[in-house]
Formats: sequence, C-alpha cells, structure tokens
Amino acid sequence: MDSEGLIQTAVELLAPWTLKVNRPEENRVDVFVAPDHLKDAVKAIVRAQWGYFSALTGLDQPPAEEGATEGTIEALYHFCRGPVVLSIRTSVPYSNPVIESICDVIPSATLYERELMEMFGVVIPGTPSTDRLLLADDWPEGVYPLRKSFTGFGEQKLEEADGNAA
Amino acid sequence: MEFSPDTPWQKVLDSVRRWARINSPWAIHYNSGSCNGCDIEILATLTPRYDLERFGVKLQGSPRHADILICTGPVTRQSRERLLRIYEQMPDPKFVVAVGSCGLSGGAFRGCYNIVGDISEVVPVDVFIPGCPPRPEAIIFGVVKLLESLKKGKAEVAAFSEGVHA
Amino acid sequence: METQRKFIVPIGPQHPALKEPGHFQFTVDGEIVTDASVRLGYVHRGIEKGAESRNWTQNLYLFERICGICSHVHATALAIGVERLAGVQAPPRAQAIRILMAELERIHSHLLWLGVAAHEGGFDTLFMYSWRDREIVMDLLESLSGNRVNYSVNLIGGVKFDVEDKHRDAILRGLDTLEERTRHYLNVVTTDRTFLARTRGVGTMSREQAELFGTVGPTARASGVARDVRVDAPYEAYTQFPVNLVTDERGDLMARFVVRTKELFESYRLIREILDHLPAGELTVRVPRKIPAGETVSRVEAPRGELFYFIKSNGGEKPERIKVRTPSLCNWASVMQVAVGHKLADMPMILSGIDPCFSCNDRMVLIDRGSSAQVWSWDELRRYGIEYYKKL
Repeated sequence: MDSEGLIQTAVELLAPWTLKVNRPEENRVDVFVAPDHLKDAVKAIVRAQWGYFSALTGLDQPPAEEGATEGTIEALYHFCRGPVVLSIRTSVPYSNPVIESICDVIPSATLYERELMEMFGVVIPGTPSTDRLLLADDWPEGVYPLRKSFTGFGEQKLEEADGNAA
Repeated sequence: MEFSPDTPWQKVLDSVRRWARINSPWAIHYNSGSCNGCDIEILATLTPRYDLERFGVKLQGSPRHADILICTGPVTRQSRERLLRIYEQMPDPKFVVAVGSCGLSGGAFRGCYNIVGDISEVVPVDVFIPGCPPRPEAIIFGVVKLLESLKKGKAEVAAFSEGVHA
Repeated sequence: METQRKFIVPIGPQHPALKEPGHFQFTVDGEIVTDASVRLGYVHRGIEKGAESRNWTQNLYLFERICGICSHVHATALAIGVERLAGVQAPPRAQAIRILMAELERIHSHLLWLGVAAHEGGFDTLFMYSWRDREIVMDLLESLSGNRVNYSVNLIGGVKFDVEDKHRDAILRGLDTLEERTRHYLNVVTTDRTFLARTRGVGTMSREQAELFGTVGPTARASGVARDVRVDAPYEAYTQFPVNLVTDERGDLMARFVVRTKELFESYRLIREILDHLPAGELTVRVPRKIPAGETVSRVEAPRGELFYFIKSNGGEKPERIKVRTPSLCNWASVMQVAVGHKLADMPMILSGIDPCFSCNDRMVLIDRGSSAQVWSWDELRRYGIEYYKKL
C-alpha cells in the first residue's frame, strides 16, 4: 500500500475517537483524540497491525501570559509504517494530567511512559513501573525538567538545589 | 604511529618504561556520564596500535587496588555518588586523570541541568586531558605525565618516611 | 548457588535492602532469571532541555555528542529535520557525502561492537583483532573530517568538507583490507565452536516478539523483521543508492552477530558505489538563521537501529522542542523481556547483543535471589558467564 493509502487506513481506524486530523507533511498524519480515548485509539492501530510504536513525545504548553488558560501537556504517540508517521495526540491540563497506560497493549511502552511521567509530570494509571528511568533517585519530587517553568538549578551545586527547585 | 628512536617523545617513553617496570600502576576507569567518545578512545589505548600496557599501566576493575582513577564525563547527578565512593575506596597515594572536555568544564553540556561539569568539583584532579575526545596518543601523553609525577610523589613520601624514622 | 561467593563484591556491603543504583536488576531462581529490569540515568545530561537554550547551529554540536559512537547520524537527523522546516534540501553532493560518512560510521560502530561483544564472552583475541582493523576506518574518518570521533560533518544546509580523489583512493584501499578481514570474522562467528556454544540458540526472540516489543535495527533484522529506515523511508542520497536489507530468521544471539557482520559487506558495497557516482556540485545551500515555525519528524538508520527525532520550531533562532528517541531505548525493552527464562551466565552476551549505546564499564548489577541480594560489577557478571561456559 502506498503512503496515501496507509494514511487513509489510519484515519479510518481512528475515526470513532477523532477530534481533529492534520496533515503537517506529505508522509505524516496527526490525529487528535481526548485523553479518555487514547487507549482505544492505540488498541485500534495495534489490532489492525497498522505499524509499530516508535516514540512518545511530550510537549509542554505553559499557561498563557494573561492566566486565562491553564497549562497543558500534550503527548504524541508516534507509530511508523514504511515512510508514514502517524501521531496520535492528546492533551491533558496541569490540574488533571492523567493518561491511561497503554502497556497492556504494548508492553514495551513502559520505558516511554516512565520518561513522560518524570519529565512532564503526567500521571499514568496502570503503568507497570513508576521507577525513575533517566532522572536520579534523589531528584526532587514534583520537579519536571521538561516543563518550560523549570529553568535549572542555577549556579548552585546540585546537592544544594533540592530545597530551591523550580 | 611510528616513532624514530631519538625523538624527545621517544626519550620520555623510554624513561617511563624503565620506571614502570619497577612500579606498575594499576588504573581504574570510570564513566561519570560521558557520551562514550572518550571511553572508546581510552579503550583504544589498550589495543595493539597504541598499547598503553607496555608502560606497565594495568587497567583493572577494583578501586581498592588502584593507584589511578581515569575518569570521563561531566558527572551526572546519578553518577556523582558512585564517583565519590570509588575515590574513597582507593588507597593513598591516589591520582585522578580527567579525560575529555566534559570533565574539564562540562564541555558541550555546560549549563545542562543534570551535570556538575568539572570533575574537580567532586574529586581532586591531577591531570586534565582536554579534547572532544582526546586522541589515544593524547591520553597516553597525559597518563605518562602523571606517571612521572607519581614517581616523584612516591620518592618524596619515601624520603619523608626515612627522615621520620631515622 | 554458594559457588558465586568466590566473587568479591567491590562496592559496599551485601545487604538485601541496599539499593545501589544498579543499572540492571535481575531476579534469579537458582540459575534462571525470572525478572529483569533496567535503570538508565547515569548518562542523562539534560540535553533535550539544553537544546532549548542553544541556537540551531549550536545544537548540531550538542546533539552530535549524545553518543560518541553514532554521533554523525544524530547530527544528520537534526540537520535534515531543520532543513525540512526551512523548506530546503542539502545539495546532492552533500547528501551523498552525508551517507558516505554514515556508512563509514556504521562500519566503525559494528567493528567496535564485534570486539566489545566478543570481549563480554571472553573472546579477547577477537576483540583485539577487530579493534585493530577498526583503526583503518578511524584513519579514514580522520583524514576526511579531521577528527576520529565527532566528525562534525554537517551544517544546516549541507556539509563542511569535500571528498577528494586522494580520499577516494585511501577509502577504496582500506575497504579492500577490511573486506578480507570481515570474511574471516564471518567465518569465526558462524563456525567457531566455543563461540557458537555461547550464541547459538541463546537469547532467541521470535519475529512476533520482535514486532511486539518494538525492536529496531540489526536486533530486529536478526529476528526476520524487515525493518530499516534506509529502505522503508529512504532519506538523503539513499534514494539514489538503495540499500539491500540483511536479515536472518533464527533470531538468536548468533543471528545478531551474523547480521551485523554481513551488514559490513553491504556498507563496503554502498561506499564503493557512492564513490563511483558521487554527484558533482555545491556542498551547501543557504538557510535562514530563524527557522520557520512548524513540526517535523526526522528518522534515520543509526548503526543500532531507527533514530527518531521530533523537532518543533516556533519561528525563532532556538528550537521550541527537540525530542530524541534513540534505538537503544526500543531495544532495551525487548532484551529485558527476552532475558527472562535465560541463565544468569547468558546475561552479558544477551545484553551486549542489542549493541546497547552505553558502555559505562561501571555498570552495576543487582542480583536478587529473593532471600538475599547482591550487587555485582558488570565485570563480575561477565566473568561469571565466561567461567560458567568453561565448565560445560
């Protein structure tokens, strides 16, 4: 099947939960779903053996200056098939950053979910391991380095930073 | 790399080789979070082309038997504790060689949130070998420089002890 | 299992509650591994965050240093992605030089791995030979780029240096020698009895498992999964110089050795072809300092498998976000699953079999026997495996 065909198949598979579809590049399709439907969407792709789960990107959208909107974390679940990259995208607010685990569908996703949790503060119920993956054991709780609000520990030595984390 | 017998470099190598046959220093290698570039070049010094072992330097696994700690990397948060522990377990007199720009200043990662940078902020460093990574010849040169000072160091300690017990 | 008491644990007291930050944790029942997990983080530097405070060009230097073994593919993935956002493509000659360097890097990486993996199994002669031969490639890389490691080939918009006739001749001569040596290595990994005892039928991963675990690169291809970004989604000059996929059906450790060794031949062939048909022309194309806003995905085939970059620009001189998923992260998941049910003595070789992109010689291993736990150094685990097989 050619790229267009693959993309159309993916779009059809995800139709029941799709909020929006984007075609940012010729070989890419972005499908936006609600966090509650993320797992269903992933299941549909996996059952159809459409492609393989390749990466999980987190994006921080900090609150707007005026404070009118809350900050959100967007999670992009990237699936690849040939040259095509499908990204199932979902957004969660800071106040309720919950996305259900996909590990019972894709067991190897545990490493990606651990990274998303520790870097962005997303809560992933059902994930088999909440151990730190990349951050140190003594990394302060509640500090999420890839959120825009984290600006490092400044000139302080690492061991002094815990009480002054962003 | 071919050396002619009378170059200054060759003279240095000869004198060190003589010394090393009497005092064979044991070294331990520790990666404190490097990209492996330096570690690979250190490993290359053990291979036939460079052959660090002809200077009597033996790379082995236990800190308790090591004279020299060869350390790479910008000391990540998770590896810092380990580095300290290794240094503490080494018997006196002990020496530290920091290989690579990362161990000097953080190198390309200077300012990144999870690193210390300069290894001498964690343990005292006797020799810095800059480079990204330094070539095997540069690493050997740095280690040879250290061996010469090691020789001096031990002679001074011996002379002091003799003076005390005389 | 009293016999392993002969190994000295160099770090700290033996204590069940001691949570030495081990890289690996193996729960064993007798000799068999019942659970395995990995803990990364020793090499976590905060690069993705650091990228946001560096401009696009500075980031080329930063991302090149994610890994000292496959640095060029990282910079290439970034450069390609940024060029795409800017709506440009590097000129054909630059594209060809990029993949020429990528194939040379693949050669050095596979030879490095061959030596290291052999060393893990106690085959130190193979380690010394392969690393000696690897020096041929290191010399070529240095004569082309000026450095043995971190070649810094890429600019955003092209490459920094040209390949001249003298390089071409040296490369062709080097490849001839390497090809002959590689034939010897292929012979060793397929016929040497002691080698086969440690690799044949060990660490087997079926095709279904490889697909389910999201495995990539030679590890996947050794289980019959036809997955290679250079073939599935050809980028740069791979469209002009197509790659022949190397796969193996057996899925065991031996297959992983065979696949990587055979891939060396394919790289030799590719390089010769690129040199024969190097397109003429410019080496760079102009790219603005501010990269237009947008998001792109850049995938390249590193020596270890698919490298995945997600790059987001907000229209400025610095990136909004760069996300990197290295091939080893995919393959860790698979090897942790495969480890279960295997002997502890097989762990060093199985773990090395995925060509993991970290070589902290100081990896600590937590061996959990339920009633007691020990912390071993990686070297002890390695020696344990060698001793175990010597007794057989």
